[in-house]
Amino acid sequence: MTNPVTKNYAHFEDLFVDQKIDLGATKVTKEMIFEFATEFDPFPFHLDEEAANASLLGGLSASGWHTGAIALAMLLENLPSKLATAGGVGFTNLKWKRPVMVNDTIGGTVTISEMRRVKSRPEWGLITLDFDIRNQKDQQVMTMSLKNLVDVRNPAAPIGEALK
Amino acid sequence: MTRWFEDITVNEPHALGSHTFSEEEMIRFSNKYDNQYYHTDPELAPHSHFGGLIASGWHTACVGHRYMVDFLFEVERQLLDAGEKPGISGPSPGINSMSFTTPVRDGDTVSYEMTITSKRKSASVPGWGLLIVQIKATNQRGELVYTQESAGFSKLRDFKPTLKMRFMEWAIKQPLLRKFLTKR
Repeated sequence: MTNPVTKNYAHFEDLFVDQKIDLGATKVTKEMIFEFATEFDPFPFHLDEEAANASLLGGLSASGWHTGAIALAMLLENLPSKLATAGGVGFTNLKWKRPVMVNDTIGGTVTISEMRRVKSRPEWGLITLDFDIRNQKDQQVMTMSLKNLVDVRNPAAPIGEALK
Repeated sequence: MTRWFEDITVNEPHALGSHTFSEEEMIRFSNKYDNQYYHTDPELAPHSHFGGLIASGWHTACVGHRYMVDFLFEVERQLLDAGEKPGISGPSPGINSMSFTTPVRDGDTVSYEMTITSKRKSASVPGWGLLIVQIKATNQRGELVYTQESAGFSKLRDFKPTLKMRFMEWAIKQPLLRKFLTKR
């Protein structure tokens, strides 16, 4: 039973370990910071420019959750082709290394660090995506390892050991 | 805001509140940050193995974060009402692990619970303690939606900063000195 939505999307077989996806660039504006923080992270240093200027960071910074959400959006936008994903399983080692300040431009790369078939579900593969998010000064602002399920085009193919 | 490091009790669960997810807000979030058809398109989503539209896991976690922030503000208000000086919660260095276990669908009500599972004085940042914070999200059927373990800083009340630290704290607040001190 082929999924009509994803039949022309890239599948597990089309990916490879060490594949790197360049995330392009996103400028994080005051409006974006306010909008996200109002809904999800209403601390004064994300919401009030004066309070932020007086704080130790010395300026308005984006919520760390916002940085992660933007990174996710940039990954989906910059995949070489749409990917037949089957959902996120979770992530580990998310580190907010530096604040993203207002008008910073963030970008970076996502690298597929690991791929394996799911033994109990031959129709799925599990991939690990290592995020390396940087600002315009090439300073790391966030890293994490996201695990995501991806549809296998040919589930009947033998399930080998991990590809890496 | 919140309690001082010294007053924080370990392994005591705090109910943060419950949130009912609507299809509209799920789609609004995912259109911006997690644009995949099973998060954004109610007509195509039934073709996925989820059988229908589900919330982005990142969305459910961001809502959980919001409930935690509101909880911290509430604790601060209670302490102020009781005539006490609230403590100071610092930035979070990150999230050790997050695992999404049950998808969230239109109309699901997710309850969030926070437990500080351990605390210790920070070795690298004098005057601050490091907390390990666990958040558990459960739906109205009692199914686990996600669990998250993160780290967070919390200021020590019983800490006497050295003269040098007090000078630095003052200096960083002076615009000209700050410019000099934070030059990268």
